[in-house]
Formats: sequence, structure tokens, C-alpha cells
Amino acid sequence: MPQLNELTEAIKSGNRSNATRLTTEFLDNETAPQEILDAMVVGMDEIGERFKRNEVFVPEMLIAARAMKESMAILEPALVKSGYKPLATAVIGTVQGDLHDIGKNLVSMMWKGASFNVVDLGVNVSPEAFVSAIKEHNATLVGLSALLTTTMPSMKATMDAIRQEQLEGVKVLIGGAPVTQSYADQIGADGFAADAASAVDAARKLLAC
Amino acid sequence: MTGKELLLRALNGEQTLRPAWLPYVGVHGASLVGVTAEEYLKSANLIVDGLSKAKELYQPDGLPIVFDLQMEAQVLGCELKWAEKTPPSVVSHPMSLMEGDGKSLADLPAFSVDKGRFPIAFEALDQIKKQMGDEIALYGLLTGPFTLTLHLMGNDVFMNMYDTPESVMTVMDFCAEVACQVADAYIEHGADVIAVVDPMTSQISPEHFTEFVTPAVNKVFDHIRNKGGKGSMFVCGDATRNLDVMTETHCDNVAIDEQIPLEKIRDLALPAGKSFGGNLKLTTVLMMGDENDARRNTIACMDAAGDTGFILAPGCDLPYDVKPENLVAVAQMVHDEYQRDIARTAANVSQTDTFDDVLLPDYASERDVIVDVVTLDSEGCAPCQYMFKAALDARARLESDCKVIIREHKITTRQGVGMMVKLGVPNLPSICIDGQCKFASIIPDTAVIVEEILKAAQSKQEVTS
Repeated sequence: MPQLNELTEAIKSGNRSNATRLTTEFLDNETAPQEILDAMVVGMDEIGERFKRNEVFVPEMLIAARAMKESMAILEPALVKSGYKPLATAVIGTVQGDLHDIGKNLVSMMWKGASFNVVDLGVNVSPEAFVSAIKEHNATLVGLSALLTTTMPSMKATMDAIRQEQLEGVKVLIGGAPVTQSYADQIGADGFAADAASAVDAARKLLAC
Repeated sequence: MTGKELLLRALNGEQTLRPAWLPYVGVHGASLVGVTAEEYLKSANLIVDGLSKAKELYQPDGLPIVFDLQMEAQVLGCELKWAEKTPPSVVSHPMSLMEGDGKSLADLPAFSVDKGRFPIAFEALDQIKKQMGDEIALYGLLTGPFTLTLHLMGNDVFMNMYDTPESVMTVMDFCAEVACQVADAYIEHGADVIAVVDPMTSQISPEHFTEFVTPAVNKVFDHIRNKGGKGSMFVCGDATRNLDVMTETHCDNVAIDEQIPLEKIRDLALPAGKSFGGNLKLTTVLMMGDENDARRNTIACMDAAGDTGFILAPGCDLPYDVKPENLVAVAQMVHDEYQRDIARTAANVSQTDTFDDVLLPDYASERDVIVDVVTLDSEGCAPCQYMFKAALDARARLESDCKVIIREHKITTRQGVGMMVKLGVPNLPSICIDGQCKFASIIPDTAVIVEEILKAAQSKQEVTS
């Protein structure tokens, strides 16, 4: 019988055939779905940490996230059956006027990997679209991304729109190349993350989960 | 000696009396003539006007004709979205299966330098060559093969590097062919240097760079050399991990962005027989700082780089709104030795003074964590101001039982210089925590400072308990 750390390794190295095979084997052997999920999350956390330390790059992150996604597809029915609920629902997008999506995609994948239910609104998302998606999906976490200095004002407009709605318990995290903690403070965001792995830490901290 | 001769000497790795000066005037040229980036990049006459103005104001030794890494992609069928103050963005990736139509190379429009906006760039080059071609070196910038591959394939490329590497190699080779055609045309129209600008390579590992990028860019650099041109490998962004492999390509020059210490690229490039360029800070200094910040940053770059094989340039494309007076200040430092001396003296550390009378506290026995912020002067230098504020913000976030003393040491005073020397601070502004230099030059996230302060507080408790 395989060990759970083998699944962690398969996720980390982005080996999707091993990851999906192991997930199926664990389910067949009646390993608790939550334990299988935990092994995957450790893999994503570890690759995220290595990304943060500049030891791996975008391709390695993407193939790890893909291995996670494909394994999750196998695991999900059993997880749901066992009464599992995602930590929270998150809405994410690149703000209006900005069409860059690599950073936003990485955060989205990392959040999914960390057991958040993620609604990805894509790029060039208007403040109104953010607000209506938050309401529609009862999201408690929002991620705003921007790559250009010229689109940073859109983040503020989005923040203002969200705050105006006075949505209970909604936490907003911002990120992207030109964004800083002081900008987050300035526009009243709840947090800032410098990279995709930090976005997971920050989200867990903000939602205390 | 003309500026052009000086720049070409530096490019060839020779010693120069002053650094060659190459401001990357891209869409910033549009701001100089009061038009939008879109109007500018679509008009040869406006580009000529912008560059003429830049020459008059900034006294450069070299100028790029156009800084727009979307020109090749546009000809190959990528859709663009235009903006007022930035070059256009690519919004469709025709070869992507995830985000586009999944086209093959054969389905793309045939590439030609007679298409798209290339004729505009060449017309501008012809005019500029006539006007100032004897005085300054002209750069033809082209899209590096990896960045163009990403434009065509979208994010698929990252996974395809693992799944179907041969498909990525084929597209990279095609993009190298495109680059050779663009280089040919630039050289025929009189460009002195061709810069292969490949910023997306900062997102991949050295192993992937060697596997995918090196063969493609070497093809381009060999081609440029055969045509009698000079080639520069230029990567905007944090390419720290790829500096070795970038330097090993067949380029004549390596140009880097502000995240990388110039000493590092100098020590790699010169032994490899290559020159190097960079890396004035675009945001904290040229955009947000003032003329004094620009002067200090220029001196810091010059001192770090030395006088051999060095071309002073911003880390990347100058933003539209960069302050012209800051670039004028850089030009002043480059051309006026006296001004350079004044600026240097203002920040200079006395070489003979050992500062025996400047004493550091015994940090370990102090009850509180001591944060020493070493600055030029937080009131007169924008990065210093942000660094000092970052320390204050960090303290404000701590629980009240964690006592922190923050002290600023301005090196405009002898005491301040003494603290800088005693603390072993390499760059300004810097933050030292309990005598250890933790953050130099780059302003950290407040949370990271908090973390370091907490660590220091904890080790104090362990010693005392």
C-alpha cells in the first residue's frame, strides 16, 4: 500500500499520472478523503514555499497545480460524501483595464489547492462585477490583481465599491507587481500578498482558518 | 569623441572616461511631445519628435527607436489592446488551446517586416539616423523568442515545456527566425545595436532557459554578428537566477533590471568578454523620487559598475510619466565630473576615518529591540522616507509588550556615517535589527519587518530566560 507522502511528492513534482493513480488507490483502500486531501495540500504548500524562495518558477507551479486539480476531480465526490466543506468561497479577478492573468491564475490555483472554493472572474473585471459575484456566491474572500501601475486606481475603485455595499465579513486581499502593503493600507484593503504562496497564508490568517 | 563612439567602446567591453548613457525612451517619448502612447507608436513623425526632444533634454549616447514588444505579435495575428500611457497589451493568443483557437504555425499570417507597424519604426529610424546618427548610437529593439512564443501560445507554453517540449522548441525556433528578419531590417536601416528583449524568461528556471531559450537566442545573436551588428541580451524583471545562462549566450552585452546588483552582472559579464548595462531604479527613484535621488542612484550605479564595459541605463522601459527633471539630473551626473564630485562628497564616507568614537550598543544586553534605519536623510530622499516609514509601520503593528526603539542615522552627519560603517551597511537606505543588517536598498513588506523584529525579541527572551 502506498504512503501518503508519495502523493505529496507527486503533487509537488507535478507528476499528474502518479498523483491521480495514488488518489484512486487511496480511495480504493478506504483512506479517509480528508487525509488524502491533506496530503495534497501539503504538496501545494511546499511548492508554494519553494516558489516564494525563488527555487521554482511559474512552469513548476502550474504543473503542480494541474496535478492537484486532476487528483481533486477524483477525490471530490468522496470528499463531498464525507461531509467536507471548503474553507470559504473566494472571488478573484484582475481589475478593470488590466489584462494580465499569470499572477491571478497562480493565486487562484494556490487557493484551490488550499481547499478554498474559488470563483475566477478572469481579467478586466469591473467593480460592479466583483460586487455582484461576491453577493451571488456568498464569498468571504476577494482577490484583486493588477500588473500595471496605471491600473492600480481600479483597485481602489473596486475596494470603494465593495466597502459601499457593507458586505458582512468580506475580506479583500490585493497583489501584483506594482502593489505594496502601504498601497493596501491606503485603499483600505484587508491585506496584501507578495506572491501566490503568501496569498494562501494571508487568506488563512484573514479568515482565521 | 562622440557619444556614439563612447557607447560602442563600452559595448565592446572597453574602458571609458565616463559611463555611456542610454535612456530607454519608449512611450516616455509620447509624454515629451504631449500625445498618447497609441498616437505615438502609430506615427513615425511623433516618434522622431519624441526622440529629438529626448536627445535635447537628456544628452544620451544612445537611444532606442521604439520600445514595444508587441509589434511582431501583432503581425502574427495577436490582437492588441491600446492604452494611453503604456505600450499595447496582447489580448489573444492564437496558438493557445486553453485561451485561443489552438492554431498551428502554418495557420498564422506570414511574417514580414513590411507589415504592421514595422514600416513606421523603420521610417522613424531613417529620419533619426539622418538627424543624429553620427552623434548617438541607435538601438533596434526586438521581441525575444520566449516572449514572442508566450504571445502566440499564451500560458500553455509553461505546461507544454513539460508535456510537449518539442512543440515549444518548434515555435521558439520560428520566433528566432522572425527575430533574425527584424534584426536584418533594423541593421539595413542603420541601427548600431540590436537588443533582444526577452522579459518573460525571468519566469523560468536556468535549466529551462538553457533548454529552450539559449538555442533560439544564439541563433539570433550569431545572425546579428554575421551581419556586422552588435547584440544585447536584455531581460526586464528579476532575472537573478538566470544571470549565468544569460551571460553564456552569444550576445555582446547583457542588460539587467533594478532588482539585480550591478556588481553581480559585472563580475559575470566582464570575464566572459561581454559588456553590461543597467540599472537605474524606475519606480522608487525615477518615478517617485526627486533629482537628488536620481543623482545618488546614478553615482551608486557608476561606483558599482566601474569604468569598463558599462552602459548606464534604466532597468527597463521608461514609464510615460517619469519625471524629465530626474533624467536631466542623471545626464548631469554622466556629463559633468564636477557635479559628480559634489554628489559623491555629499554621500561619501571618509576613507581615513575609523570612527573609533562611534560606539554600537551591546544589542544583546539591551532590554528592547533596536531598529537602526540608515538613510541619506528620510526627509530629503524618497526611498529613505519609505524605508523609515516601513520601520515605523512595523512597530505600530506589534503588540504593546514588544518594545522597539527605532533610530534614524542620516549619513549627512559624521555620526551617521560612523553608524553605517560600524553596522556594515552595504546600501542605503537600510534597516538593521539588533545590529544585523536585515534589509538593504529594497524596501521590504511591513509584515516581513514585523517577523524579523519578533525573531529578535524572541532570541532576547531566550537569552534572558
